[in-house]
Amino acid sequence: MPWWLYIAFKQLFPSGKIISFFAAVSILGVALGILGLFGTQSVMNGFHAQIGEKLRDTTGDIIIRNFGQPIYNHKVICERLRKYPEVDRVETVAKGPVMMLHRNVPIFPMLRSYDTVKNETALPLKQKNYVKMGFIEDLDDDSIIIGQRLAAQNGISVGDKVEIFSPTMLDKIKKDEVPMPSSLEVVGLLCTDYSEVDSNVALVSLRRMRDLYNLGDGVHSIVVALKDGANCNEFSAKLYSDRKIPYRISTWLTSNEGFLRVIKMEKVMMSLIIFLIIIVASFSICISLYTSVLRKTREIGLSGAMGARPYQIALTYCFQGLFIGVFGSLFGIVLTMTILHFRESLVELIVGREALIEFYHFAHLPVKYELNDAMWACTFAIVLCTLAGLFPAIRAARLKISEAMRNE
Amino acid sequence: MNSDLVLSAVDVKKSFKTPDGDSIEVLRGATISIKAGESVALRGESGSGKTTFMNIISCLESVSSGEVFWLGKRVDNLSNSAQAKLRSGFMGFVFQNYCLMPELTALENVLLASRILGKCSRKEIDRAKDLLNAVGLSARLNYLPNRLSGGERQRVAIARAIINSPSVMLADEPTGNLDEDTANSVMNMLLELCKNNNTALLLITHNPDFAKITDREVLLSHGEILEVR
Repeated sequence: MPWWLYIAFKQLFPSGKIISFFAAVSILGVALGILGLFGTQSVMNGFHAQIGEKLRDTTGDIIIRNFGQPIYNHKVICERLRKYPEVDRVETVAKGPVMMLHRNVPIFPMLRSYDTVKNETALPLKQKNYVKMGFIEDLDDDSIIIGQRLAAQNGISVGDKVEIFSPTMLDKIKKDEVPMPSSLEVVGLLCTDYSEVDSNVALVSLRRMRDLYNLGDGVHSIVVALKDGANCNEFSAKLYSDRKIPYRISTWLTSNEGFLRVIKMEKVMMSLIIFLIIIVASFSICISLYTSVLRKTREIGLSGAMGARPYQIALTYCFQGLFIGVFGSLFGIVLTMTILHFRESLVELIVGREALIEFYHFAHLPVKYELNDAMWACTFAIVLCTLAGLFPAIRAARLKISEAMRNE
Repeated sequence: MNSDLVLSAVDVKKSFKTPDGDSIEVLRGATISIKAGESVALRGESGSGKTTFMNIISCLESVSSGEVFWLGKRVDNLSNSAQAKLRSGFMGFVFQNYCLMPELTALENVLLASRILGKCSRKEIDRAKDLLNAVGLSARLNYLPNRLSGGERQRVAIARAIINSPSVMLADEPTGNLDEDTANSVMNMLLELCKNNNTALLLITHNPDFAKITDREVLLSHGEILEVR
């Protein structure tokens, strides 16, 4: 091992001690910076992935709409869609807001249809067991499945009756007719763990939904679930180029583009702010190493007298910055993964689960580690720490040996 | 030039600029020759330029005029890098304030001189242990400097200076910080080690008793070297 590397190690990890105070504090500072940065990025990635998954699960991969009008030739369109190898499931959907009355309390959920005849849906209701306290197969024309949080907020239980008023009833009122609400029995709770859905959506049969919205044989949209590995953007482009679907085609990505972009922007902005922690840590390292150079002026002079070259003296300090960056980054990654492993308890302790559900729509804090994020965070920290060592290193290398030896 | 000479300086002049822009001539043609294994005491008043002269003959500082020779080879005109390379194997240094690395043990401090020279094998480790044993510190090999007394630290510094078997050792008031008894013991040790290793010694000292026990005594006065004994 070259002597300058040896001295760099010894100044950080002196004989008789595990680690020097300076090294411990510096490594901890960098590790905390990495914890802040990588931890935030991982949680934001988790939110992005989780929200993406829930959006897919609750809206489907591809949504085909008729520019605000019902689709009546849906059977033909569905047949065409089923011929594509990428397509897994196709579902005709009617969806819209209604007024729901429970014990004379009005609620305004979004009603979505489920085809009880074909018993087929593009959403993974069965696969992911999203219906609790009942089964999707229990749904018929006289029953309803309500979002779990919606039910909880309004004291609705399985077995209760609710009355549904649809916007089309306004037409009957205009004609001086008395609209009769549909009375439906709650046969299950929809529990996707995504509060946006669980507190807003209810499921009824397609026949009931058509009746409520006067759709006849029509539907509002056709929802497609793609097979695993199929790219929804590519498939959407393929549908457009084939010109077989004369309607507006959107994917879950384009439908929620703004929302997903906000999450990405939030990640970038938070990362930029937390980068400052690492910059502050690197300033502290620079100051500490500079102080070390001033304190060890005579020793540096003696090294020069014993034959050390200025660049070797500089490397001693540069490598200390590098070591701190490397060890701090590694420790930071381990610290991040350890703390995030216990994230559920920490969330419970610090903000409470209700706050998490209220602001982020999830009952559990999601985390997704991305190698790219870890690499960027570590590279940034290591480069900054090495640069922090460079300034004192230049100062040490420029010391005149004879003057350094006389230093008091 | 005499082939026995390990170090010589011929007509060395050195002047410094003061902040006022004036020039102060510290050395005015100082000349010295030191033979292999010879011990020479250099005395002079405070501020007479002893340390400057030592820095010049070790090429830690440049000359204004004059020549410096190591083993008969002129070195004052070499590059800093070449001087540093030659110096690491040619010279050892002992200073009044020890200059030990605080994070290294006594043994590691001694070995540092070898490491800088690019050598740190079992042979060097054994030699460092032998040297520390020779200076009476065999029980303190793994002690950090802050656990050693002043005399012990200076003995570590002496062992460090001698480990590369240098041709010349430069000692700048090595006993300046020590009490009389310790100073005597350290000085005897220094002379003995230099003699055993056939290393020439240039000892800067204010102590006339120490000057007397060297082979030769010179005085730096008014920028020139005068032979006293």
